[in-house]
Amino acid sequence: MNNAMRTMSAEAATVERYRGAVADSRFKRLWNANAPGYLFLLPWLLGFFGLTLGPALMSLYLSFTDFDMLRSPGWVGAANYVRIATADPKFASAMSVTLTYVMLAVPFKLAFALMVALALNRGIQGLPIYRAIFYLPSLLGASVAIAVLWRQLFAGDGLVNAALAQFGIQGPSWISHPNYSIYTLVALSVWQFGSPMIIFLAGLRQIPQDMYEAASLDGASKFRQFYKITLPLLTPVIFFNAVVQTIDAFKAFTPAFIISGGTGGPINSTLFYTLYLYQEAFGNFRMGYASALAWILVIIIAIFTAFSFLSSRYWVHYDD
Amino acid sequence: MTLRVSRRNFMAGGATLLSLSAFGSGAFAQDKRLRLLWWGSQPRADRTNKVSELYKAKNPGTSITGEFLGWGDYWPRLATQVAGKNAPDVIQMDYRYIVEYAHRGALAPLDSYMPSKLNLSDFDKAQIEGGSVDGHLYGVSLGANSAATMLNTTAFEEAGIDLPSKTTTWEEFGRMAAELTKAGKRKGLFGMADGSGGEPLFENYLRQRGKALYTADAKVGFGVEEASEWFDMWNKFRESGACVPPDIQALDKNDIETNTLTLGKSAAGFAHSNQFVAYQQMNKDKLTLANHMRVTKDSKGGHYRKPSMFFSVSSQSKVVDQAVDYVNFFVTNPEAALALGVERGIPESAAMREVVAAKLDAVGKVPLEYVSGLGDLAGKLPPPPPAGAGEGELTLRNISEQVGFGQLTAADGAKQLVDELTRILARG
Repeated sequence: MNNAMRTMSAEAATVERYRGAVADSRFKRLWNANAPGYLFLLPWLLGFFGLTLGPALMSLYLSFTDFDMLRSPGWVGAANYVRIATADPKFASAMSVTLTYVMLAVPFKLAFALMVALALNRGIQGLPIYRAIFYLPSLLGASVAIAVLWRQLFAGDGLVNAALAQFGIQGPSWISHPNYSIYTLVALSVWQFGSPMIIFLAGLRQIPQDMYEAASLDGASKFRQFYKITLPLLTPVIFFNAVVQTIDAFKAFTPAFIISGGTGGPINSTLFYTLYLYQEAFGNFRMGYASALAWILVIIIAIFTAFSFLSSRYWVHYDD
Repeated sequence: MTLRVSRRNFMAGGATLLSLSAFGSGAFAQDKRLRLLWWGSQPRADRTNKVSELYKAKNPGTSITGEFLGWGDYWPRLATQVAGKNAPDVIQMDYRYIVEYAHRGALAPLDSYMPSKLNLSDFDKAQIEGGSVDGHLYGVSLGANSAATMLNTTAFEEAGIDLPSKTTTWEEFGRMAAELTKAGKRKGLFGMADGSGGEPLFENYLRQRGKALYTADAKVGFGVEEASEWFDMWNKFRESGACVPPDIQALDKNDIETNTLTLGKSAAGFAHSNQFVAYQQMNKDKLTLANHMRVTKDSKGGHYRKPSMFFSVSSQSKVVDQAVDYVNFFVTNPEAALALGVERGIPESAAMREVVAAKLDAVGKVPLEYVSGLGDLAGKLPPPPPAGAGEGELTLRNISEQVGFGQLTAADGAKQLVDELTRILARG
């Protein structure tokens, strides 16, 4: 009995060892095959876990605390979220400013980008130069310098009003009047149409020319060709641009920060969501609350994106 | 092939040597390295760096790295560094934030260093207390200042209007400013800035009426009545053209560069006396300082001498002794005092005040004479602002804009101001 058991367990051990060896060698083989890949991915992996996922999880934890940046965080449960939902009029005001901005800036920007892309697609001479020039504002776009320039352009005695004065119109101080300030920021965003324009341009190049030839043989007008061929075949690109630009618009920060001097004024008219979040975190020492605000923004962007994807099956046509 | 290998070896060896030497020098300098952080503009940085040079000359082997930012960027940076356990050793601190930082344990109490290492014996007592929280000293005042009205004397002269006197009331000044606007000697020049959203100005007005912005036990120190009359007064100024319209005032980002006085939009602006030197540097016209206007002819002055800013020492600092020594040098060394002048306010040490006064130029004398000449216009220093005061300042500005743009009546604005401040203070 004892012997038999010992034999059995010895056998089992051998089997185990064998299995282990197989697993070992399989792992080793996998590793040998993929090691260079992982090595090349390492910088990205480090970046992703160290700089994106780690801080994100940390902020999720902090959103349930009263962290004030100086003392260690104390757990407060859902209190921050409750305050956002029930007792924070500034949240509502920042949200409405941001939604207004998204609803205006994204469609106008896309329409403008498409117009320019169509114009550039005609095969003019020196196209690369034009492309570069039109793309330039996007490169500079998020920068402080451009926001400062915008401040100068739209100030009461700025260039825009000087131009209007030529027609006898006395313009207001666009950036410092609560009725207009948000529109100057929308205009700034539309002006940075470069990156969706480049993508539209690439999309336009994908549309087979013979379709237009066939259509014009059938007597379709340019306008009709645009509606029946260009737009439907471009919908995947429009969809992509819309999603990317919407997310970008939700996260807009720099222009509002510079133009209002960080106050979101006048009268909260440029109090973007991210600006309010920043004020709470760094101005009022409420990092925990700001983290909760950040997660609400994540959820809102996720909802918008999910909605875009769900609706896409009704209006996005893939070429198949 | 051999060549490549050897070159690689050489490179690797060199890199190792380099990193080792960097490590070595870092470790070597560690015990004598001081880090400073302050807010302000370039002239202040030049003066501060000069003091650091003087200190290094007297204390060989010390290295000092100083960094400076604008007011708005300063506080996020400081909070982040403190949270990251990477706070600078010497921190420029403001009266508004000292309680928050001290309560949260970010600052080192300095009492034990007095008087042997930190000698503040000839300081104005009230100013030392200004840097104390719960009976401990957390900040050494770098100078005294007071809220002030900045006047463009050239613009007043051109319009043929006398400068306000020490007893000019708001009502009289409103008429003078409206007249100056009407004189129209310069295009787009108004009599004064719209000060309705300026917290120090509003506080001065409240103090003249025997009230306060905040009480010592962190409550709102005024009622709807005072705020309503305040907004009402500014509505009248706007109507008569005495002050700039609200969309011009909204350009003011609460710094010297964007004040309507600097922008040439108004002949009078509201600021602090220690900013005078910088204001004058940015303005071709001759400027001067005056006290804030009186509510009535016989009302008491609402001014007070305020520590313009402090130097605090971080509780995380590994070289607290050295940091305290530097701060002591900063406020008690005559050479340092000469380098600093009155840019951070009037020196608190009586001896340093004499040193500085003897060498001041005409522009530097203006704030010195203004602060020392306040007389009975200056009252007691109010208690440090409670937690949430920073938010309160933005709230006053926001509501004053709503009244200015006509979205709220003066009475509704006043009610909303008191309500919101009460809510902010309750949250802390």
